[in-house]
Amino acid sequence: MTAYVTRRLLTGVLILVLLSMVVFLVFNALPADPAALTCGKSCNPQVIAANRIRLGLDQPLYLQYWEFVRAIFVGRTYGSGSATFECSAPCLGYSFRKGEEVTPLILKALPVTLWLSMGAFILWLVPGVLLGIYASRRRGRWQEKVTLGAALVGYSFPSFFIGLLFLFFIVIRWQLLPYPNYVSPFEDPVQFLQTMILPWLTLALVFMAFYVRLTRNQLLETYSEDYIRTARAKGLSEGTVIRKHALRAGLTPIVTAAGLDLAGLLGGAIIIESIFSLPGVGKLAISAVVDADLAVITATVLLAGTFIVIANIVVDLLYAVIDPRVRLT
Amino acid sequence: MKMTPKRRLSLVAVVASGALILAGCGGSDSGSDAGAGSSDGGTAGGTINILTLEEQILHLDPQRNYTGVDLAFMTGFMQRTLTAYKFAEGAEGVTIVPDMATDLGTPNEDATSWAFTIRDGVTFEDGTVVGCADVKYGVSRTFAQDIITDGPTYAISLLDIPKAEDGSSVYKGPYVTEGNDIAAFDQAITCSEDNKTITFNLGRPAGDFNYTVTLTAFSPVPAAADTGEGYDNAPVSTGPYKISEYTKGQKMVLVRNENWNRESDDYRPAYPDQIVVQFALDPSAIDQRLIADAGEDQTGVTFAGLTPESLATVFAAEDPRFTERSVDGFDPYVRYYTINSAKVPNKLHRQAIVVALNRAELLTIAGGDFAGTIGDGMIKPNLATDYAESGMWTDLFGAAVPDTGDAELAKKLIADSGEPMPAITFDYPQTPTNDKGAASVQASLAAAGIKVTLNPIEAGQYYGVVLDPEQQNELNSAGWGPDWQNASTVIPELFGANGGFNLSQVDDAEFEARVQTALGTVDRTAQADQWKELNKFAMEQAWAVPTRFGKVQYLWGSKVGNAFLWDAYGSLPFGDLYVMQ
Repeated sequence: MTAYVTRRLLTGVLILVLLSMVVFLVFNALPADPAALTCGKSCNPQVIAANRIRLGLDQPLYLQYWEFVRAIFVGRTYGSGSATFECSAPCLGYSFRKGEEVTPLILKALPVTLWLSMGAFILWLVPGVLLGIYASRRRGRWQEKVTLGAALVGYSFPSFFIGLLFLFFIVIRWQLLPYPNYVSPFEDPVQFLQTMILPWLTLALVFMAFYVRLTRNQLLETYSEDYIRTARAKGLSEGTVIRKHALRAGLTPIVTAAGLDLAGLLGGAIIIESIFSLPGVGKLAISAVVDADLAVITATVLLAGTFIVIANIVVDLLYAVIDPRVRLT
Repeated sequence: MKMTPKRRLSLVAVVASGALILAGCGGSDSGSDAGAGSSDGGTAGGTINILTLEEQILHLDPQRNYTGVDLAFMTGFMQRTLTAYKFAEGAEGVTIVPDMATDLGTPNEDATSWAFTIRDGVTFEDGTVVGCADVKYGVSRTFAQDIITDGPTYAISLLDIPKAEDGSSVYKGPYVTEGNDIAAFDQAITCSEDNKTITFNLGRPAGDFNYTVTLTAFSPVPAAADTGEGYDNAPVSTGPYKISEYTKGQKMVLVRNENWNRESDDYRPAYPDQIVVQFALDPSAIDQRLIADAGEDQTGVTFAGLTPESLATVFAAEDPRFTERSVDGFDPYVRYYTINSAKVPNKLHRQAIVVALNRAELLTIAGGDFAGTIGDGMIKPNLATDYAESGMWTDLFGAAVPDTGDAELAKKLIADSGEPMPAITFDYPQTPTNDKGAASVQASLAAAGIKVTLNPIEAGQYYGVVLDPEQQNELNSAGWGPDWQNASTVIPELFGANGGFNLSQVDDAEFEARVQTALGTVDRTAQADQWKELNKFAMEQAWAVPTRFGKVQYLWGSKVGNAFLWDAYGSLPFGDLYVMQ
């Protein structure tokens, strides 16, 4: 087990290194020139050249990459003359567009995305799985049809549509909630909940539908297995059969999907954060892309990649916990 | 004035004033009497809420602040300048009044030297008195072009400081100690012994230098607080408010600066107790919130104008809910096409391009009447003192030219030239709207027998390409707004030998001599007459063709007082706003 985890972690680090290299290469191949984007009205070839030096883009790509990696471990000095300043380790770079070090930018945005993702995750997973169980137990009846139909409706609408509907009707037109204005739950729990409830619901509606159908399908498939028939023949209650036998076996694909969905959200729920003005990683990433802000783009891509890598490892570990037949080697 | 892709609005600056009664020291109290710069009396207290799609104020650093709306915001609340624009509607709003200075400045005989005396009682937010040295230090930062980026560079171009061989200034700013001609800068800006009077020695006559110093690039910065790049996040206030909270992408809160002395500032009324900027909002949600006009949005205003989707709702039916709290007027910008005279040297060929364009179609593509009106020069009507009809669509080319263009007149002009019309390549920043406009240009010129090849350029890279003469083609899309309310930042910039935006590649000694004469004219009326003539001359030369005098539409909350379209920056007069109690 320890060897397995160590091996997976090392592989994950290698993936992240490769990912960072790809980001640098792709960014360099883009037609957008960050030096031109930040040079203002007096933009001429001389100013662009000076900006390129200021942004460090005059260096060969491998040197730029080396400086980036080095700064993570030992920090970096920016500026010139008496106006230099230190970006202390772990330095993920400096955003000249935003005028801030990238590491604090990420650290400020991450809690927002964590709260958004975890809240939505609970809201979609628990009802989604329960409704999936319910639908599987009502197979062929109107309850199953209603449940699946409702799930299909939720699944059919894109998140930006549901989010905008919530925003325009619940916040702007009916004014049942104030306009989203994120604060930490430790600072003002009421305002936090007022801000987060609609983003949570929006994500939950979209994702929950998938889990209703997935759970229902997995359970129906499991119900036909011999060991379920045996369990019932032994006189076990239906609840016990579902909880201890059917659900456990059917959980594996649900855990896989949930892990990756959660990791994707943690990497940045771009649309939802934009609609509800949540200053999370997704919003940070999209503004960085618009501004061709390499330092922030690299950091957000690495963050998203880290979550995916970790989620994959955790999912694999959970397999062994859920299903004794799985052995980690 | 810089126009960023996201912010096509105009701005505002600030001002107004509340000559209040408060005696003594810090005017942290809330006053209620409007001062000389203010448009109307207001009441003190409350919170003005500014809603914006932007992630941040692009630059809070005064020497880097160059975007209209940001200038309006910062000068209104936090950054005092030597002179400022009066808070007023119409032509009065583009006139200047003293702010940090005791008067509008004193030029020498040929306007190559300007002196300003700083009022008593002007302080930074820590209570330190602002003197000449602080203004001088602030201006010096502009020269650090590797750190103080994005800002206006008029200090470099106007001050009498020699240039190095590579064309850059021999003075490199306050952060460089070696190989830096500090003495040259010290001669260009001098301070009186009492540190109250600052004198700018210029390299050429500048009759309107007292307009130049409305830019925050000429604002004071305390050297001890200057952190270079980092000053952009935490500038020291000299105005009635200071930053109490600033989270980019989320919120900025300005509260009263207890060390601001109202007696030293009869320009800013400083009515609200607090200003809250909410960043990163969805633009359509901003419109909907102002339309709904509920709760805190009743004191809401915006940096940007309404989105096109909301215009019909707000303006179409004279809806009484909106008539008293909306405005539709000119922004600071002229949209135009430059004709590269180095590549199209024949004047008649250039005129042929001008008259062949279907201007009505271009306006429709841009958004119709809400997007602007058809322009007739590079000086807009809201640059009131300097504007006069150029006559380019009535008789300047020998005949009236309909809005839909005149292909036959274009053909005649080409025939009269006696030379074959060169092939034209049209550079433009690629957007869906601009693609349609380019297709219109291509079709209308084709009708006159002029072959046009389209050259769409990625929008963010556009000016970096066309400002390189090696890459610039014959016809180029552009937009321009004055850096201050004088056509000295229009005609010389667009067509002058030293113009920073001379995409027309004009090289005309006689024209340049006239420009220099106008630049050195101190009498504002006489100077305006010269700009009008030069504008007309430039249009007759067909160095550019204006396609649109841009417009903007604003909506604000029902409890916001003193809101109007301020022509100084084409935005609301932020510093003059108050909350109706």
